[in-house]
Amino acid sequence: MVHALRRAHRMLAADGLVVDLHPTAAESAIEVGAEVTGFVAAGDAIERHAAADSALAAVLESGLFLVDQVAAFTFYTYADTIEELREYIEENWRDARLDDPTVARARKALQRSPGARPRSRERVVVTTLRRAQMR
Amino acid sequence: MAIEEDPEAHELEALRTVVSFEGRRVLEIGCGDGRLTLRYSHAAASVVAIDPDAESVAALAAERLPNVETRAVGADRVEIAPQSLDVVLFAWSL
Repeated sequence: MVHALRRAHRMLAADGLVVDLHPTAAESAIEVGAEVTGFVAAGDAIERHAAADSALAAVLESGLFLVDQVAAFTFYTYADTIEELREYIEENWRDARLDDPTVARARKALQRSPGARPRSRERVVVTTLRRAQMR
Repeated sequence: MAIEEDPEAHELEALRTVVSFEGRRVLEIGCGDGRLTLRYSHAAASVVAIDPDAESVAALAAERLPNVETRAVGADRVEIAPQSLDVVLFAWSL
């Protein structure tokens, strides 16, 4: 990760920016309407996201970049059924799975709110780094 | 309707608060199938979109976006001239 950021530094023009998007270490929730039915069991995701934070910290410490701006947002992924959402997450998110109780609670919530679509909720941070002026 | 990612476009909205892609030369690392690329690339001067997943990159290439060059390669192997980019975007890939 640090290597990739160092390579980015070489590729960037003097006034160039690195823009990094990555999820926070917070657990991703499964929701039906306003109801949280459980959380995604995401394997080593917390460690991976922490490693991304560490890589950013390392290049800041090295003086290659300066933090320009930071913003956060919520990223939702919707499906038509909880089974479809489970299949999508387990196929596309690394080492992630939905446990049976979360799925069962979602099914019941969908019965109570037939118009709702199940969704996952992730909190994501976007950080821009400005290339530091080297002496 | 199937799977729908970020239909509210919160991601693009957040990006717009911190960076402008207008006229910029962009390298996007981790483009996948171009979910995000498709949303901002029209504003950029040029985009090199890379991902080690060849199948996903092929899906983006099939969109034939005029200012987007796709490469099935990881960040550690991509060759780009020094100081030739305005933005390097790590798209959920750091």
